[in-house]
Amino acid sequence: MIQFTEEAKRRYQTILSHYPERRAALLPVLTLAQREFGWISQEVAEYIGRLMRYPPSDVLSVATFYTMLHKKPAGKYHIDICKNVSCWLMGVNPCVDEIKRQLGVERRDVTADGKFSWDTTECLGSCGTAPAMQIGDRYYENLTPKSVAEIIENLRNE
Amino acid sequence: MPALPVMTKILLANIDKPDQASIAKYRERGGYKALEKALAMEQTALIDEVKASGLRGRGGAGFPTGMKWSFVPRNTNKPTYLLCNADESEPGTFKDRILMERDPHMLIEGMAIACYALNCHLSYIYIRGEYEFVANTQQKALDEAYEAKILGPSVMGKDFALDIFVHLGQGAYICGEETSLIESLEGNRGYPRIKPPFPATHGFLASPTVVNNVETLAALPWIVQNGAAAYAAIGTEKSKGTKLFSVSGHVAKPGVYEVDLGYPLLDFINKEAGGVANGRKLKAVIPGGSSVPVMTAAECEGVLLDYESLLKAGSMLGSGGMIVLDETTSMPETLSVIADFYAHESCGQCTPCREGTGWAAKILKNIIAGEGKRSDVDLLLKIADMMEGKTICPLADADVMPIRSFVTKFRSEFEDLCSN
Amino acid sequence: MPKFTLNGQEIEAKAGQTIIQAAEDHGVEIPHYCYHADLPIDGNCRMCLVDVEKMPKLTPACTTLVNEGMVVRSENERVKQAVRGVLEFLLINHPVDCPVCDQAGECRLQDYYMVYGLHTSEIPLGMKVRKRKVIDLGPMVVLDQERCVLCSRCIRFFEHVTETGEMQFFGRGDHVAIGTFEDRPLNNPYSGNVVDICPVGALTSRDFRFKCRVWFLHATDSICGGCSTGCAVRIDHRDGAIFRMIPRRNPEVNRSWLCDEGRLSFHELNKTERISRPLMKGRDGVQAPVTWEEAVRSIDARLKEIRAANGAGSILGFASPSATNEGLFLFKRYVGDQLGATQFDFRVDSEDKNVLEEEDQILRHFDKHPNSTGAIKLGLMSKELGGIDGAIEAARAGQIKAGVVIYFPPLVRRACDEEVEGRVFELIDVLEYSVVLAAHKSEWQTAASVVLPVTPWSEEEGTYTNFEGRVQFAGKAIDAGGDALAVWEAFAMLLHASGAESPWMSAEDVFASLTEHVPAYREVTLDKTRLPGVIVG
Repeated sequence: MIQFTEEAKRRYQTILSHYPERRAALLPVLTLAQREFGWISQEVAEYIGRLMRYPPSDVLSVATFYTMLHKKPAGKYHIDICKNVSCWLMGVNPCVDEIKRQLGVERRDVTADGKFSWDTTECLGSCGTAPAMQIGDRYYENLTPKSVAEIIENLRNE
Repeated sequence: MPALPVMTKILLANIDKPDQASIAKYRERGGYKALEKALAMEQTALIDEVKASGLRGRGGAGFPTGMKWSFVPRNTNKPTYLLCNADESEPGTFKDRILMERDPHMLIEGMAIACYALNCHLSYIYIRGEYEFVANTQQKALDEAYEAKILGPSVMGKDFALDIFVHLGQGAYICGEETSLIESLEGNRGYPRIKPPFPATHGFLASPTVVNNVETLAALPWIVQNGAAAYAAIGTEKSKGTKLFSVSGHVAKPGVYEVDLGYPLLDFINKEAGGVANGRKLKAVIPGGSSVPVMTAAECEGVLLDYESLLKAGSMLGSGGMIVLDETTSMPETLSVIADFYAHESCGQCTPCREGTGWAAKILKNIIAGEGKRSDVDLLLKIADMMEGKTICPLADADVMPIRSFVTKFRSEFEDLCSN
Repeated sequence: MPKFTLNGQEIEAKAGQTIIQAAEDHGVEIPHYCYHADLPIDGNCRMCLVDVEKMPKLTPACTTLVNEGMVVRSENERVKQAVRGVLEFLLINHPVDCPVCDQAGECRLQDYYMVYGLHTSEIPLGMKVRKRKVIDLGPMVVLDQERCVLCSRCIRFFEHVTETGEMQFFGRGDHVAIGTFEDRPLNNPYSGNVVDICPVGALTSRDFRFKCRVWFLHATDSICGGCSTGCAVRIDHRDGAIFRMIPRRNPEVNRSWLCDEGRLSFHELNKTERISRPLMKGRDGVQAPVTWEEAVRSIDARLKEIRAANGAGSILGFASPSATNEGLFLFKRYVGDQLGATQFDFRVDSEDKNVLEEEDQILRHFDKHPNSTGAIKLGLMSKELGGIDGAIEAARAGQIKAGVVIYFPPLVRRACDEEVEGRVFELIDVLEYSVVLAAHKSEWQTAASVVLPVTPWSEEEGTYTNFEGRVQFAGKAIDAGGDALAVWEAFAMLLHASGAESPWMSAEDVFASLTEHVPAYREVTLDKTRLPGVIVG
């Protein structure tokens, strides 16, 4: 059975302390759970439900509303590349093709080594530095197919 | 040609200065003086001051901020909450990001002023999850503010307690709609609420709540410091003050610019944003984020950047997320990208939006793939009519406006892609 | 009481009513999917949009409170066009599989399409959003996600009525679907209700699925016979067989709900074989079929002999709390008034039956008989006897020689039922002379001196008095087979055979006599026993 680490449990308590009602902590706790377990599996939803005393269906229902919470395993580096207007105008499509070529998997699938997965996403708020993509909590902007290849190569060697 | 107005820098005054995100530099450059001044004022006088400034909500709707505040009932036995809307997700919009990234204390100061005026002791900044790195900067600034006793049990030594927490979203455009933001903050699916009741009386945890955009709150320190009259002197009669425009697409110098409201649109593109890139001709402009009607190059002539002028010109100021399209742009493809966005972001709660946004997006995909029929063009307009004004929140209308404007203003481009 | 104008007609609404509620009270149906009188308002389907003067946009009738002087139009072209649009939206991703859908005939999509839609589909099949079908959600419910209009009635039911929260929305946009966590079965005792409140074919009844097209069914209004709550129900039947039972709305008792046990309780009627003819033991001690006339003549003569020999105190009247008030009234009339018996009871399963005890906070009561309160009010509970155990004891002691027993096993079975049945057998066995009125064959049957076939719940009309003393009318849905008579008819015959007046031609006649003779029922008329029923003191 899965469980938060001691560190995560402390973090959980801190999150709870930020809100007048426990329910308001659900989204931050799910975010924490994703950080801990990689994605929101049914097992994770059940664990969070037990922890916070909500039916697992309720927890999963909330999780499936938010696209940043993964409903299937993601790679160690999950790439979200923006396909919205400004990124599209500035030529994101060749960059998407480059990601596909580099990783050799379709969107939302994970590479065999477990290192990468990718997806397209909606506007990241990087329109002035388009095209842009996000990996973890980092933005990569002014992308070209060449820079995309370099970024992936660097992460591959990390 | 009339002379351009003298531009006042309110929000971006210090944006490029070194280390502005630190409390030391922020204070060195005059930061938190406005809060000190505000704390010496009567709360109601502060609300009157904001009313007098003419400041309007900078998130997109442009509702007068002081008036919004005055709807909050006082002396109920419930707490009042101020929620800062930093869920900046409107395509083409990246102005709040820069404020939080580079000048986070300005937002904190603005929030503290608002909280004092509203008698609010607990406040949240709802930041979109993608902006985690921005949230980290904002959190660091909050930590500094706590340490400097600007936040906490006694704000700047005054008998007024205030806690501000950062709350990260997790990927849902709809959470920028204020009732959806509240639902999301309460730990639910971000389904917009039916109004009435309004957040002013039944908001977060069924308590009186004000939701204000980052840019709106960030303007408060300047207004308090320089007076409502000084702010009201900037801009036009009904659109007062300055506004941030984030410009992107086919311009030479994309980025965030602060201009006085009433600044000419084409001057903005040509003089501030460096003109259309690569020497191409302007085809169209989406002036206020993807939700507002597109304007043809011809329609842009003589139009000023303020709420009333843009409305008169058949579009809207919106969030100030301007997207510039040059002559090479395919309008059906652009609309398809936009329609995909609304279909993806429709929360799915109410029928017309859930079904209509998805359907329109699929029809557009078909048209672009060369599989559309000519009747599909009219079908798009029919779907727009079927959605408009019939939903719980404005998301469907935000899809209707681009659909209707793209299709009617560039109809032949759509028809040319269709068979029979 | 705000007055407002609806489609040109001035209407008075109740304070705090929404437009849809006030309209409904005045017979104007505003189309809707998500609105439900017994669930919190949600406003998601947008079918009930109406045109209110001075409001720029159309507004949902379900969320808008009536204000004094409001001018509302629910039938103008603007509204019709909006409703048509919403309906078209609901149908674009719907599979339109009516020929194989159980909801056909009572589907709100079909109904409104005929009134508002009649449009041609403009979406090619390949463009439709596909979702999961035939998902097994436990003993009561089958889910088809493609047919769902996402009105959230089922979600709200589990959230606010049972407070179990099993069903939820998953996903976003036009991919939103309803379901349970990991398709887990719905195992709360009220899950069947979501089938009723589902306005389309997304949630269908596992029990009723594919049994019969609804337009072939006949409906009879009744009261559930499964416990002492007395939920209003509708029995749907065809060719003498019940196909399903669904709740009728009674705001005073069951709102729009029914428990799963009650819903399926009618199946119990056909699980064991029926007694089809009166049976009587001959001199040789062997039961043989007789006619009703022979039976009642013999019973009356024999009981009078026993009375002459041992006094009226030696005759026991043991009633069933599942019989109608009409049956019990004439039972008392014959055994008590005519024969002079004084020993009456009906309690079979516990010494201290508390008919008021709730099994849960929603509907169910522990007392699985629909008419215990009626039996009490008709004076069929004796303190001295103290239920069936006391009766058995008195019979063993020789104080009681003969008994007239009505016995219907509960329609909602419990673990203790076998033991109860054993005690009934014991009572019949120890009596020197026993007359048993029953519907189903059972072990005790051979011990009885006379067996009279009578009709159970749903096969005779009559009234039941629920736990709180509410008298409610239940219609007759189907004809019993064989020679079975209603309980009241059996006693009307016995009274006639006994030389007493017996003027009753119908259950209604019996009820009129009952109200005349039983003080608690004096103010009750049959009309008052229809929804929502009437409480007697």
